Amino acid sequence: MAKLCFMTILVILLVQLFSFNRANMPPDDAAIAHTYTPAWRYRCVPDQGCERTTHPQHGLETSARNTSGMVFASMDVCRTVCGRFGGLWPRPVTAAIGIQTVKIHPNYLRFDLQNVPAPVVSLMADMTKLVGPNLLAECDGTVTEDVDAPVVVYLTVRSADKSLTLNTNEEYMLDVQHNTKDAQISVRITAETVYGARHALETFTQLVASSKPEFADDKICSLLLVSGAKVRDRPAYRYRGLLIDSSRHFIPMENLKKTLDGMAANKMNVFHWHVTDSHSFPLESTRVPQFTRYGAYSSEEIYSAEEVRELIHYAQVRGIRVVIEIDSPAHAGNGWQWGPEYGLGHLAVCVNQWPWRGICVEPPCGQLNPANPEVYRVLGDLYRDIADALPVPALLHVGGDEVYIECWNRTEEITNYMKTKNYDPASDGFLKLWAEFHEKALAAWDGVMEAAGTPKQPVMIWSSDLTQPQWINTHLDKERYIVEVWEPVGSPLLHKLLRMGYQTVSVPKDIWYLDHGFWGATKFSNWRKMYAHMLPRDDNMLGGEVAMWTEYLDEQALDTRVWPRAAAVAERLWSDPTADVLSAEARMQRQRTRLIKRGLRADAISPAWCSQHDSRCF
Amino acid sequence: MKWWGEGLGRGASAQLSRVARMRRALLLLAAAACTAAALLYWRQQSDDRAHRPLHALYEGVEPQWSWVCRNLRCERLLATETTTLQSLPTCNMLCDSTQLWPQPTGAVSLATAVQPVRAEGFKLQIVTSPSRDVSDHLADAFELMKEDMRTLERSAGSERRPADYGLPRNVLVRVAINGSADPRMRLDTDESYKLTLRPSRKSLVADITAHSFCGARHGLETLSQIVWMDPYAGCLLILEAATVVDAPRFPYRGLLLDTARNFFPTGEILRTIDAMAASKMNTFHWHVSDSQSFPLRLDSAPQLAQHGAYGPGAVYTSDDVKTIVRHAKLRGIRVLLEVDAPAHVGRAWGWGPSAGLGHLAHCVELEPWSAYCGEPPCGQLNPRNPHVYDLLQRIYAEILALTEVDDVFHLGGDEVSERCWAQHFNDTDPMDLWLEFTRRALHALERANGGKLPELVLLWSSRLTRSPYLERLDSRHLGVQVWGSSRWPESRAVLDAGFRSVLSHVDAWYLDCGFGSWRDSSDGHCGPYRSWQQVYEHRPWTEEGGGAAAWRVEGGAACQWTEQLAAGGLDARVWPRAAALAERLWSDRAEGALPDVYLRLDTQRARLLARGVRAAPLWPRWCSHNPHACL
Repeated sequence: MAKLCFMTILVILLVQLFSFNRANMPPDDAAIAHTYTPAWRYRCVPDQGCERTTHPQHGLETSARNTSGMVFASMDVCRTVCGRFGGLWPRPVTAAIGIQTVKIHPNYLRFDLQNVPAPVVSLMADMTKLVGPNLLAECDGTVTEDVDAPVVVYLTVRSADKSLTLNTNEEYMLDVQHNTKDAQISVRITAETVYGARHALETFTQLVASSKPEFADDKICSLLLVSGAKVRDRPAYRYRGLLIDSSRHFIPMENLKKTLDGMAANKMNVFHWHVTDSHSFPLESTRVPQFTRYGAYSSEEIYSAEEVRELIHYAQVRGIRVVIEIDSPAHAGNGWQWGPEYGLGHLAVCVNQWPWRGICVEPPCGQLNPANPEVYRVLGDLYRDIADALPVPALLHVGGDEVYIECWNRTEEITNYMKTKNYDPASDGFLKLWAEFHEKALAAWDGVMEAAGTPKQPVMIWSSDLTQPQWINTHLDKERYIVEVWEPVGSPLLHKLLRMGYQTVSVPKDIWYLDHGFWGATKFSNWRKMYAHMLPRDDNMLGGEVAMWTEYLDEQALDTRVWPRAAAVAERLWSDPTADVLSAEARMQRQRTRLIKRGLRADAISPAWCSQHDSRCF
Repeated sequence: MKWWGEGLGRGASAQLSRVARMRRALLLLAAAACTAAALLYWRQQSDDRAHRPLHALYEGVEPQWSWVCRNLRCERLLATETTTLQSLPTCNMLCDSTQLWPQPTGAVSLATAVQPVRAEGFKLQIVTSPSRDVSDHLADAFELMKEDMRTLERSAGSERRPADYGLPRNVLVRVAINGSADPRMRLDTDESYKLTLRPSRKSLVADITAHSFCGARHGLETLSQIVWMDPYAGCLLILEAATVVDAPRFPYRGLLLDTARNFFPTGEILRTIDAMAASKMNTFHWHVSDSQSFPLRLDSAPQLAQHGAYGPGAVYTSDDVKTIVRHAKLRGIRVLLEVDAPAHVGRAWGWGPSAGLGHLAHCVELEPWSAYCGEPPCGQLNPRNPHVYDLLQRIYAEILALTEVDDVFHLGGDEVSERCWAQHFNDTDPMDLWLEFTRRALHALERANGGKLPELVLLWSSRLTRSPYLERLDSRHLGVQVWGSSRWPESRAVLDAGFRSVLSHVDAWYLDCGFGSWRDSSDGHCGPYRSWQQVYEHRPWTEEGGGAAAWRVEGGAACQWTEQLAAGGLDARVWPRAAALAERLWSDRAEGALPDVYLRLDTQRARLLARGVRAAPLWPRWCSHNPHACL
C-alpha cells in the first residue's frame, strides 16, 4: 500500500517535472538538445545517509556511486526511515524504526485518554492539541493527499501529579503499529507522568515527514508516518535549559512563545527567563507597578501579569518549566530608582552612574542597596507576584552574579551600615554583606512560599566570588541553593562544587553562550562545538543550559542566533551520546528543517548541497 | 504622566493592573461576564481592536520617557520630570548636527525647526530632464520614496500625546537633471546631487539638482532621511530647511550575495536591495552560481538550472531576474550577475556527455573533495571543450540582456584547482590552461557583447593575478576584485601593477566570517566575525605608495558568502554592517567609529527596521535611549 502511494507520488512528480522542462525548452534550440530529465528523488545509502539522486548517466562521475538502497520522495521522508535513529532529535535511548510508511492526516488522528488520571487529563488534552498543528506544519499547513489509515494514540499515564520539578519522571515508551486488518495505526504511549507522555507525542510527530521536497515547486504534499516503530526513552539530565535575556532588549511575547515551541521540539524543559537587569525592567508587578513605570523601555514594552501567566501555561503544555530570574543584588538599576520619591530611601545605588567603569560590568550600572530594609520588603512583594504566576513548586533564580564591591564601597549609607554590623570594609566584609543580602532575599522568598503553604524551595544562583569553594560553605547553604556555574570549561569550580555536594547547573560561557563571537574577544561556537561538550555525570549535576544574552540582539535575529545551536545542547543534555558529532549531522539537518517548518528561522549549518548529501561534506 | 505617574501609592498601581486584567478578560469572555457599565464601555473599545496584540492593553497611555538635548546628546528623563515631552527620534534629529547616513561629503546645513508633513503631501515637479526615460524613472523613484513614508505613517505606535505641530505642510519637490539621458548606473555616472529645502508660505519647497537619474535618486534618499515618524505625535515630521551638497568618494559601492551555497527567494533579494538603496550603495554583486548549485534558469541554457538547482522551486526565472533588475535600477543600483568560471562549477555542467557535447566539466563531485577543491562538491570547466565557450557566450549574452549592464562584467575566475586539470591534461601546465581559458572566455564575452569588451571586466584575485601571470593579463580591460587579506603582499601587488580594482579584503569586508567551520577543516583566513566597527575603519587606500603605478581603486564590496546562512537570517547578518561599508565608500571620512558614527548608524538601523529589514542592533536598547552614557 505504502509503496503504491509512493509510486503515485513519484509519477506525479515526474510528470510535473517533465512538463516543466518542456515548457521551458527554447523552441529554436537545436544545438544543445537536452535529453535528460532530472529526478528530484532521495535515496537512503546505508551507513552514509540520504542523498539527492541523479539518473545513471554516461560519463557523469557521480553515476559511479552506489545505487542500491531505497528511494524516497523527499529528503525528510528518507531521513525519517534511514539510519538507526531516523529523523529523531534528540536521539532516544533505543529506537527500532521500520522502513515502511503510511499516509496519515491530522483530521484522522484520535487520542484516547482513558488511561490518563483525571487530575491531569485536561493538561494532557492540551498537550495532544499541539500534535495536529505540528504535523500540518510539515506540509506547510496543507495536506493535499488522502489518508491510508486513521491513527489512534492510546495514552497511558500513571501519575496524577501535575507538577513539573527537577524530580519529574520524563521517561516514556512509544509503539507504533500498523494494523493491516482494520487498516488502522495504533500508537501506544506509556509514561509515568504527563510530561513523559508529552515527550512521546513529540517523538511521534518526529516519525512523520512530508513527501514534499524542500525546494518543490508544487503544493502536492502528503504526510508519511513510519508504520512500525518502538522507542524507549528517558533524559540523561534533569535540567535542560535555555536562557533568554529580555532586559538588554525587550523580546516580544510572540517571539518568546516561538522560542518555547523550539524548546518543545527539542525536549528542553527549563525556560530560564532573565527578565530583568540594570538596563530595563519589563516585568509587570501588580504589587509594585513602579518597576515597569520606571524601568520599561516604553509602555508598549512590558510583559503584563496576564501575559506572563499565559506564557507560563504555554510553557507547561510544552513540558517546560519557567524559571524567572530577578537578578540581584547587582544587575539591578532601571526600575528601582523610585525609592526616594516614595519615601523608601535608595532601593538601588549607582543607578546609571557615569563613568561606569569600575562600578559595573557594562553600562548602565546599578546594584540593590543591602543597607535599606525596604529593599527586602519590595523584593518580597515582587516575589509574591512571581509566586502567584508560577505553578507550584516555583523555582526562583535570584541572580547573584557580578557584584561590584566598588559600587557599594562608594556609597556612604552602605559603608556606615557595614560599620554598625562590624563588617570589615575590605573584601571579606563585603562578601558578608553580599551573603547577608542573599540570606534576607531568600527569607523573603521563604515567607512568600510559607504564606502560600508550600514547603521551602531551593533557589538558583549564579556562580560568583561567593560561590568559590573557600567561601561558599560559610555563605550559601547547599540545601537551599542550586549553583549555576557559568565559568569557562577550563575552570575547576564545577567539579569542586559537585565534590562539595552542591547541586549545579552548567553553562560554560566559552561554549554555551550564544552571544559569543560578536563582541570583544569572545569566540563563536558552532553547533558541533556546542554538541561535543560533555558534562560530568554526577547525581548533583542537574544539567545544563544555553544562554542567549541580548546586548547585541533583539527579536530580529533571535531565532537564527539560538537555533539550531540550542538543539545541539538539547541532545547533549537529553541523550548525552558517546558517538561523535558527525554521526549526528544528518539528524541535525532534519531537526533544522523541522524547526523551520514550525516557524522558527533556524540558521543554516552548511550549504544546502550538504544537507542534500549526507556525509559528503566532512 | 497623569496616568502613569500621578497615582503614587498602591491605589493607582492596583488600578493599572486591574484595568489590564479586565481588558484582557474582556477580550476572551462573553459580555455576560461583565456587570458594571464601565466595563461595558471598555468592552466596546476592545471589540474594535480585537485583532490587536496584547500590548494594545496600554494603548492610549501617555509616553513614559521624554528626551532633552544636552551637550549635543539626547538625555532620557521620566516624562513626569519634564514639561516638554519629546520623543527619542525627534530629539536625535534635532539635537546633533546631522543624522544622515552616509554622511554627505559636501556642505551640509540643517534647520533645527520642524514641520509636520504627510506622505500624500509630497508632490514631484520635474524641472528639467535629459530624457523621457530619466523622467519616468524619476517619477517611479519618487513614488517609492512616498511609499516608504506611508510605511512610516502606518508604524505609529500607541504611545500618544496630542500633537501641537499644527497642520501638515505640503512639500513640493522640484528636480532638475542636467546630464546623462541614461538612467542606468554606469561606471561614468555622475552621482553627485544638491538638495535644498526651504519653507515657502504654507508649504515647503525642495530643490534637487543632479547630473543623472542616480544622483537625483540619491537626493530623494537624503530628503527622506530628514523625514521621520514622531511616535508621540503620531505623524511625520520634516526639518524645515536644509542644504546638502553631496557626491560619493568611490564610484563602486557593492554588496555581494551568494545564492548558490544556499538559495534565497526573490523577496529576500529585493529587500536587500531596498536596504542598499537606503545607504546609497550602487552595486548588487549577485554570485548566482557555484559548484553547489546553479539556480539561474537561463533561456539560452536551461539545462544548467535543471541539473544544477537544488530543486524545481529553487530557481530564478528570467522574470525573477528582470524584477530584481528593475527594482535595483529604480534605486540607483546595478545588478552585477556573476556566473563563476572555470572553477566553482558543479553538477549543473554534468549533462554534456548525454547531450553529445563531451565533458563540459571535470572533477564534478569528485572525492576526496579536499584534493580537488576548497570545499565540497568539486567541479571545474573543461578548458579544451569548445562547447564550453559556446555555452559561456550564450550565458554572457543573456546576462547582458537581462541586467542591462554592459560596461562592467564579472567573470569569476578564482580558486582553480591545478590538480584537477593536471589529471586530465597532463601535457599542459594548468596555469597555461587557466590563461587560455581566461582568454577564450573573454573572447566569448566580446562576441556576446556585440564585438566589444565591456569597459571593466572583473576577475577575482587568485594565483592568476599574481606574478608571473599577472603580467600576462591585459590591464586595459581587466580589473581585479581583491578578496585576499589586505596584509598579503599579492593583494597590494595587483594595485601596484595598475589594475583597476574593487576591494573585498577578507580581513575586513567578508561578512560570512566568524561562524566556525562547517566542514571538517579549519576556518582558514576567515577568522573572527568582522564587527561593523572593523568594517567601517578599514581604509586600505591610505596605504598607497611605492608602487610602479598609481592605485586605481574603483571602490569596494562587502561579501556575504552563504555556506552558513540561509533565507531568514540574511538581514541581521548583513545589516547594519554593510551600511557601515556604504559610508566608508561614500564619505570616507578619516575618523573611525566615533560616538557620532554610533548615533547616526543607530538612526540608520531604525530606518532599515522601518523598511522591513531585520537589521541587528548595535548595542543594548538602553544605550539607544541614553546615547551619552554608552559612548
